[in-house]
Amino acid sequence: MSCHEGRVAARAAVRRLLPRLLLGLPAVALLTLFFVLPYVEMVAMSFRAPAFGQPFGSGHTLMHYGRALGDPIYTGALLRSLLTGALITALCLVISFPLALHLSRLQGRWHVVFYACIVSPLLIGVLVRNFGWMVLVAVDGPFNRWLLAAGLIERPFRVLFTQGLVVMALVHVFTPFMVLPIATALRNVRPELRDASASLGAGGWETFRRVTLPLSFPGVQAGVTLVFVLSVAAYVTPALLGGQGIAYMPAVVVRELIGSFAWPFGAALAVIMAASTLAVVTVFTLATHRLAERTRG
Amino acid sequence: MTQIDVVGLTKRYGTTLALDGVSLQAREGELVSLLGPSGCGKTTTLRCMAGFMDPDAGDILVDGTSVTRLPPQKRNFGVVFQNYALFPHLSVFDNVAYGLAVRRLPKAEQRARVADALAMVRLQGLEDRLPRALSGGQQQRVALARALVIRPRLLLLDEPLANLDARLREEVRWLIRDVQQQSRITAFYVTHDQAEAMALSDRIAVMKAGRVAQFATPREIYQRPAEAYVARFTGDANIIPARPRDRTADGGFHVPFGGVMLPVPGVDGIRPGDPAMLMLRPEALSLIDPGAEGVIPALVLGTAFLGAALACEVSLADGTRLRLQASPHAPVQPGMTVGLRVDTAHAWLMPDVLS
Repeated sequence: MSCHEGRVAARAAVRRLLPRLLLGLPAVALLTLFFVLPYVEMVAMSFRAPAFGQPFGSGHTLMHYGRALGDPIYTGALLRSLLTGALITALCLVISFPLALHLSRLQGRWHVVFYACIVSPLLIGVLVRNFGWMVLVAVDGPFNRWLLAAGLIERPFRVLFTQGLVVMALVHVFTPFMVLPIATALRNVRPELRDASASLGAGGWETFRRVTLPLSFPGVQAGVTLVFVLSVAAYVTPALLGGQGIAYMPAVVVRELIGSFAWPFGAALAVIMAASTLAVVTVFTLATHRLAERTRG
Repeated sequence: MTQIDVVGLTKRYGTTLALDGVSLQAREGELVSLLGPSGCGKTTTLRCMAGFMDPDAGDILVDGTSVTRLPPQKRNFGVVFQNYALFPHLSVFDNVAYGLAVRRLPKAEQRARVADALAMVRLQGLEDRLPRALSGGQQQRVALARALVIRPRLLLLDEPLANLDARLREEVRWLIRDVQQQSRITAFYVTHDQAEAMALSDRIAVMKAGRVAQFATPREIYQRPAEAYVARFTGDANIIPARPRDRTADGGFHVPFGGVMLPVPGVDGIRPGDPAMLMLRPEALSLIDPGAEGVIPALVLGTAFLGAALACEVSLADGTRLRLQASPHAPVQPGMTVGLRVDTAHAWLMPDVLS
């Protein structure tokens, strides 16, 4: 009797859970196929022995990690990528906050128009966008011609193939990833809280500092994480606008994998880059854990 | 502490007139309720008083000085919101201390005043909790403490009990009254619940479509409503069309009702022969033996046992239906013919709509 009941209950549980499992299946399959397996493969590759004339040899070794972490060329590129990523993230945050504040207070048609402006950098393909920058800042491009015509400079600026241009171009394209989560967080701040703050004697700035700004933090956290990860991993824009002079980590990885055909060493560099990025994000998340806990929805 | 005068407040949203010349006063230490259905302008009035909204016309005076042009942060009014509006990222202590921190008071004074305010609303030992870890009743106590700790000139409460369940509502209602009485703060209280307004208020402003229909004590509002709308909104009432025949010697009216002539008090402006409304609260009616002299015969249509009373619906010979409450022991059953006695002291004659 009880055995029978148990079986009935189990069958009911399966019937209840089955739809959920089925709904999750495509996502799990997709992630396994395109995220978990490639990473497993890459980590495995990073331990393989090198070989002449072919991508990798037989046997396993730790030498690639030793080489990557011992050579200032590689650690320098890694550090430069992480620091540039941090700079881009900081600039994005400063630029995005006022935009997000404005976007969060708009209603109806103006909200749509402003939203479209914010996401516009993402609507242009990566090559077109970067060639656009090249044309804009070339020695005889409109940027220099305007400055010359205005008498602000005597000789054309060399902007192309500088780190500054790379940072500017990446800030431009990653700004939507910062604005949208912050605007969403700001929209979730109930307007009565501003009324309550004012009734308790706080002026506009005081209310912003004590209420609006802290409560936007869930959006700031999401935006900072997204922009940092994207910046560190950016390949095309630094390659096109940064020239050959400065090496960022993704370019170094690609050079080893495709240029030198050294798959295990390239994989080791890629693993190091991914692990460093993850470490920075983890430290940031843990450091802001209390604030995030307090301010979540 | 403070005398408040609201004079001719007018507010237009597009083409609709949300407030149409609202005038109110509150004397020092008085609690005034704004009572009305949703959309009657009671919350708009409160928001104008708090400074969250600018009236198109009219003035708000505190002890004779206009505050209409002052932003909310300069008014020093405590506001309690319907959904508490506690700062979700701040602890109970920091929520209550908010107004003091903004005023840059010394930390020691902040601590002392927060402790006093929390003691006043009987909420201690939860200072470090976040609002989301509190029940609705506790959150509303924090909100009340936060509004009181700044020692406001005026306390504004916007349906503070609407989100609480029935049992808590009673408890917090008495707490609000106690605290307001203790601190002698002048207060305005918005509600759509007539029982709440009756229990709490020194005076009630019954609002109707952006205007004040009647502004008087709870007793007067209940027993001497200015028009049928007020009578309907302030509790159970039988409201029956009636035409007064003539005035009585003591200033009332002779009103024909159910075959007899009732001498009832009423609104002074009514002239004999005018169409008017006769209000009979359920407690103005009682059932007696149908054989007695001068009684109105009535047919019992239905009864409902309420415990402390027996609710009855009866109909008169002319088809008028009345609701009343009889003794729970009354031997009354549907289909019976009973005698109806009207306690004319508790009847009231008023115009349908105040012109």
